[in-house]
Amino acid sequence: MFKKIKRNLKILLLLTYNSLKITSQSRQGMIFFTLGKILRFLLLFGIIFLVFSKTKIIAGWSLKQVIILYLTFNFIDTFSQVLYREVYRFRPLVVSGNLDLILVKPYHPFLRLLLGGVDLFDLLLLLPYLFLLLLFIFQENVSFFSFLLYLVLVVNGLIIATAFHIGVLGFGLLTTEIDNVIMIYRDLLNLGRFPIEIYQQVISLIFTFIIPIGVMITFPVKALFGFLSFKNIVFSFFISFFLLWLSVKLWQIGLKRYQSAGG
Amino acid sequence: MIVVKNLIKIYKIYQKTGRLITDIFFRKYEEVLALDKVSFEIGKNELVAFIGPNGAGKTTTLKILSGILFPTAGYVSVLGFFPFEKKEAFLKQISFIMGQRNQLIPDLTAMDTFLLNKEIYEIDDYQFKKNLQKLTAIFSAEKIIHQPVKMLSLGERMKMEFIAALLHQPRIVFLDEPTIGLDIFSQEAIREFIKDYQKEFKATIILTSHYLEDVKRLAKRLIIINKGKILYDGSLTAILQRFSQIKYVSLILEKKVKQEALFKIGKPIVYQLPKVIFQVEKKELPRIVAYINNKIPYLDLVIEDEKIEEVIKSLFKNQR
Amino acid sequence: MYKYFAVFILTLKEYFSYRLNFLIWRLRVFIGFLVPFFLWLTVTKQVKNFAGYDEKAIISYFFFSHFLSYFILGTRTVDIASQIQSGEILNLLLKPISFFRYHFFRDLADKILNLFLSFFEIFLFFEIFSIPFPSTNFQFLPLFFLFLILGLFLNFYLNLLISFWGFWSTEIWAPRFIFFILISILSGSFFPLDVLPKELFSLILFTPFPYLFFLPVKMISSPETLINKINLNSIFFMGSFWLIIFFFLSCFFWQKGLKNFSFWGR
Repeated sequence: MFKKIKRNLKILLLLTYNSLKITSQSRQGMIFFTLGKILRFLLLFGIIFLVFSKTKIIAGWSLKQVIILYLTFNFIDTFSQVLYREVYRFRPLVVSGNLDLILVKPYHPFLRLLLGGVDLFDLLLLLPYLFLLLLFIFQENVSFFSFLLYLVLVVNGLIIATAFHIGVLGFGLLTTEIDNVIMIYRDLLNLGRFPIEIYQQVISLIFTFIIPIGVMITFPVKALFGFLSFKNIVFSFFISFFLLWLSVKLWQIGLKRYQSAGG
Repeated sequence: MIVVKNLIKIYKIYQKTGRLITDIFFRKYEEVLALDKVSFEIGKNELVAFIGPNGAGKTTTLKILSGILFPTAGYVSVLGFFPFEKKEAFLKQISFIMGQRNQLIPDLTAMDTFLLNKEIYEIDDYQFKKNLQKLTAIFSAEKIIHQPVKMLSLGERMKMEFIAALLHQPRIVFLDEPTIGLDIFSQEAIREFIKDYQKEFKATIILTSHYLEDVKRLAKRLIIINKGKILYDGSLTAILQRFSQIKYVSLILEKKVKQEALFKIGKPIVYQLPKVIFQVEKKELPRIVAYINNKIPYLDLVIEDEKIEEVIKSLFKNQR
Repeated sequence: MYKYFAVFILTLKEYFSYRLNFLIWRLRVFIGFLVPFFLWLTVTKQVKNFAGYDEKAIISYFFFSHFLSYFILGTRTVDIASQIQSGEILNLLLKPISFFRYHFFRDLADKILNLFLSFFEIFLFFEIFSIPFPSTNFQFLPLFFLFLILGLFLNFYLNLLISFWGFWSTEIWAPRFIFFILISILSGSFFPLDVLPKELFSLILFTPFPYLFFLPVKMISSPETLINKINLNSIFFMGSFWLIIFFFLSCFFWQKGLKNFSFWGR
């Protein structure tokens, strides 16, 4: 059992090391992208301050709370992007047919297709985000229990993100339109930058219960400040595990229906 | 080792009508029968070649045997496993090499991919070193394994693909068009390699190809497949015996011969005096040779078989 | 001139063959629109006057912003950089057709198609959510058209300039990414630029950013609040200044790029 875990870890480390070697070959791009991401982070942060300089509360959220929400969003978004970078490269693998050569290898394809492109450089960016997040949280009066609940729900949000990325892989086996699917996911996720309450009722409901962006980001922060009902906490866990199960099923169905490229 | 009984594979090809709503919600699809009740068995240490035109079902067969595709119906057993389940114990014993497809990581060196495969296939250090040495020696490729793969020529890259795929000494090797797109020298090198590899490692090798050269040089057993059906499964030499009805008789005439005398043999397909070539039916051969010996003054008489290519071509034509 | 009309029609045809992709693209643009719209709606619902904007004014701003967003900011010139890299650009250069004009008409087709769709989308959205439709002050329409044309050409030359990076580097996405981020925040598509504090706003007026998108949209949605605060002549002068700079820079780098580039690849 442990031997298996050790071996899988070793493979994962090698894949990550390779990924690092490849990205360091395009240093210029790396610098620009990182700069761009930092810029975007700072500019949007500035907007929050701009809005709250003229008003104390937005849709029931105070400045500090909105900041923590924004930082939580950044953390979850960046973390899942860092881990699952390889999913964005899935389509060329399917189209070229090189996917077949991965499927024939004696290890779980997810090691390569899901986690095989971990961007260590981006991971470094995650640290300042994390630092800022914790800084702002500890300035507030939060009970230990709320903080724990917050952490658990953030992990829960990451599970939803994982389910989504696995779902993309499953989809990618069935159709070549997945680039669009990934991009729509990113766009939808962006809606979570601000409290889900700012959207009018119907939209807000959709994005909480059907496409669980609200569950991923707004709920953990609400729990942190003690505003999350027990009902919603249960729902959060239910939906994440349901989506995870669904996505793995989709992958398995995809494998059976997979017709491979060319011949 | 490999047992296939009544294997059927149907592909669903989606038809794009061009009308947006139809394309999303009411997709029409066409069913293509890629494999039609295919059956065969392959044992240890065999080298089998699958040949057939494009779309015959060769690659589909290989992909089902290696577990990539899910069979629509029928029985498939490789090394006692159902390939689609992709059990680790199964995958560790096989290898798939596809011409024009790459498992090597293009931005890194071949050695980097080799090391990754070492972990994936759990090859111990000693075995890894030994196999790597043997394989690179056969190709004389010691230097290029440390060069970035994207800088290598197509032939060199293919050699690296071979090494990467064989480091773990698989018992069964699937080769799908391994020499396609390569220059003559690389093709030769790959063929020699496959021959040497089988001799050395005693693996079962299944090869698909368009090039009859590959087949003639390597395979002892030939499976001809077209439109999802097996047309022939046997040795290369036996195919001529079974299917060829034609022999070619070439004459170099000693002196001028009257046309009527020659035309009694038949209408020549080549008539460039002093050379004359006739296409005759096998069963007529004794009579014709006797006639030539009696009536035609010749310097040289050669009797040749029909080319294997022609035999196979006519096999496909007749199938229609 | 007819050949450019053909370019126009061809680009439209291309869209019709990539229908699904195109509609998904519009869906994505629309989803992106929801964030700033609802954010600012919520803010102005709570604060009756946010830096000069009330609910009605913000609705008006974002109505026209979504309507005009792709028309002004959208472009197909992003393809140029990869065409340079692959050598595909040679196909165009060897034809008797002006490179600049070709891409201008290609963009025009692209923009007009998206204009129709964005109007349709925003109209539908406002209908469904019973949001009152804004009106425009016709008095300022000439000003609007002036800044619209300025913005169109400014965007065109600026985008070309960024694409010409492909002549000197293989990493073509990097500068475009940064540019894209700067534009999405500072152009006025995420928030109306004049909600910024007065000093910051005056500073920004010296940069090319407000002229790219904010000013035309402002002129058609709620020009009254801006007119008294600024000197029309000086901002028009500033805008034209940037246009001239980008025009000459793109011509210059085009010539230089053609000379230096060795067209490797295929």
